[in-house]
Amino acid sequence: MRKRVKQVIAGAVAALMAASMIGCGGESDSSKKSPDDQITLKFSFDQGVGEATQKIVDQYNASQDKIKVETVLLPQDANQVHDDFVNKLASGDTSVDIMGLDVVYIAEFASAGWLMDLSDELDASITDTMLEGTVEGATYEGKLVAAPWFTNSSVLFYRQDVLDQLGAEVPTTYEGWMELADQAVGINGVEYGADFQAAQSEALVCNWVEYVWNNGGDVLDEDGTVVINSANNLEATNIMKKLVDQYAPEGVTTYTETESEQVFKEGKCLFIRDWSGFWSSGQDEGSKVTGVIGATTLPVGPSGEESHSCLGGLDLVVNNAISDGQKEAAVEFIKYMVSADTQKEMTLISAQPPVVKEVYTDSEILEEIPFYEDFYGVILGGKSRPKSPQYAKVSDAIQRNIHQALTGEVEVQAALDTLQEEVEELSK
Amino acid sequence: MIGKKKRYGSLEKTEGRDAWIMMAPAIIVLLVVAVYPVLRTFWLSLHEMVLTDPGSGYPFIGLKNYLEIFNDKRALTSIVFTLKFTIATVSLELLIGFTAALIMNKAFKGKGLVRAAILIPWAIPTSVSALMWKFIYNDQYGLFNDILCKLGVIDGYKAWLSTADGSFMALVITDVWKTAPYMALLILAGLQMVSEDLYEAAKIDGANVFQRFFYVTLPCVKSTVLVALLFRTLDAFRVFDLISVMTGGANGTESVSIYAYSNLMKFLDFGYGSAIAVLIFAVVFIISLLYMRVLGDQITDM
Repeated sequence: MRKRVKQVIAGAVAALMAASMIGCGGESDSSKKSPDDQITLKFSFDQGVGEATQKIVDQYNASQDKIKVETVLLPQDANQVHDDFVNKLASGDTSVDIMGLDVVYIAEFASAGWLMDLSDELDASITDTMLEGTVEGATYEGKLVAAPWFTNSSVLFYRQDVLDQLGAEVPTTYEGWMELADQAVGINGVEYGADFQAAQSEALVCNWVEYVWNNGGDVLDEDGTVVINSANNLEATNIMKKLVDQYAPEGVTTYTETESEQVFKEGKCLFIRDWSGFWSSGQDEGSKVTGVIGATTLPVGPSGEESHSCLGGLDLVVNNAISDGQKEAAVEFIKYMVSADTQKEMTLISAQPPVVKEVYTDSEILEEIPFYEDFYGVILGGKSRPKSPQYAKVSDAIQRNIHQALTGEVEVQAALDTLQEEVEELSK
Repeated sequence: MIGKKKRYGSLEKTEGRDAWIMMAPAIIVLLVVAVYPVLRTFWLSLHEMVLTDPGSGYPFIGLKNYLEIFNDKRALTSIVFTLKFTIATVSLELLIGFTAALIMNKAFKGKGLVRAAILIPWAIPTSVSALMWKFIYNDQYGLFNDILCKLGVIDGYKAWLSTADGSFMALVITDVWKTAPYMALLILAGLQMVSEDLYEAAKIDGANVFQRFFYVTLPCVKSTVLVALLFRTLDAFRVFDLISVMTGGANGTESVSIYAYSNLMKFLDFGYGSAIAVLIFAVVFIISLLYMRVLGDQITDM
């Protein structure tokens, strides 16, 4: 009898443990419908724009009953956000419906088949209101696979007070800035002429391509041929290296946006190249340079004529694996987010540049953010980084080789030659 | 079952069978959670699988990925760096850990407190301590620069994480700071098992401090030390979060794990990335086997 009881208990426990494993799996489907047929959408993006977006989302949820949007925040690191999305989308996960994706990853995600084709839903009536560069960046193989949400480009911020004291004009060339930097050291706490981001990261790619473009060169020419080790680019990279060696803080090759902004806010730098959002964050509490920041376009090199800045920003993408009902709701939400009114609201509370053109010339906006008047010109001159499904590898090649050139580990010419070879390999 | 005449007789066999039934759920869970992923990674490594190219159909290519590893300069550089890092950190940790253990073995006031406090670096998650040390090494306001300057060792603030040697040194220091306490505690456990009688006998025979150390202490703690070394070597070889947070793999500090991660998550090359991961697994396995060889039967005597 005891033996029998023991066997039964053993069998029951085994069965229970086996049954509990079923609880480990199970899909997390977000298409929950509450009794009154409300659809829930999960919207995931990085927390750099967290607060502002949350306000907009709350407004949307309050304004109608059909769709409820829930936000899922991620850390403010493009790589981490990318990896998180890859994890989900590669396994066909449907727990996230809409994502805020960095513009450089659009081609990669689209070629893997993870993004819903929005060409039919978002027709010309919507895309014509947007900046051309952003719509182009959201297109892959002729299909619109993303909805531009907000854009960004870099700006040269400088110490207006130092320039006033020296009675100097705002320089437009790198040489001009270097000359000014020699005079400016010691004035009002300035120790370094230049400040920017040269850590081995995506930020370095953005910085470097700007030197390249502003010196009349490029990474790929119109036919897509790799033109990295041209004479123009060699000159441009040498200028960047000179700034790193002589004018920037010693640790600039370990700086991403955070560290570089910190040094400028301490009042130690003459200028900083940073994203446009620094206009407001650079003057917040604790900053020693509030009220003395000026903004201008990036300087050009000796062989360059036009100033370009690197385009960034986030696009809204829809997970291709979710159900049709979810997709419809997602498109509804996207249309709301890209409408002129919402874009204006978003810009007012977040200082993130909108993609809808008319917002830039809106009087309320110009009152709040007067620097958008000049900035509109800057953003029209914005260029996208090379678009390719292999962008991750191209970016990685640029990051490694240029970083080695800037730290002096490899000669600049040798680094550009190696980079030329590596990118050519990838383009095959 | 009752009433049936048992064919196989002995009590041992019945108990054995019951034991298997009891263990079955746990074994199944282990197989699913531990063995299956390894097998699947190995299976993936035999295919060409780049996620951004779903049209390729992910064909089976046999061992081509592994051949590619040997032709890949970047992979070989990362292996060399990882080995350098492993040897540097494990030897330093052994030295410092052993010394600390010998000191803590003596009875002194506050011994209990010291033993608890020494574990704090180990208790802080690696990512957190890596970030903390990154600020310490900062070139503008870092503590490291400040102290060295005040002591007169260097004349100006240096950007430690900007150079290959500086980064290597920074990573080694942080890793040793974090894990030497762990080694110290493991070795301390071994030291405590050495009987006082042996030391007394040695003293009577006229052995001095060094002879007592080499002929009594070392042989007795050999197995403990080897186990501690085994854990540390395996961990050091698989280093990832420390490097990822501090340098991101820049300045020649890319370890094998970081390279595998880049291939898998950044380039979405699951075939090649899996091959590198299997390589790490193989090396770690071989290192374990070597250590087991040296330990021999001693491990069951512990």
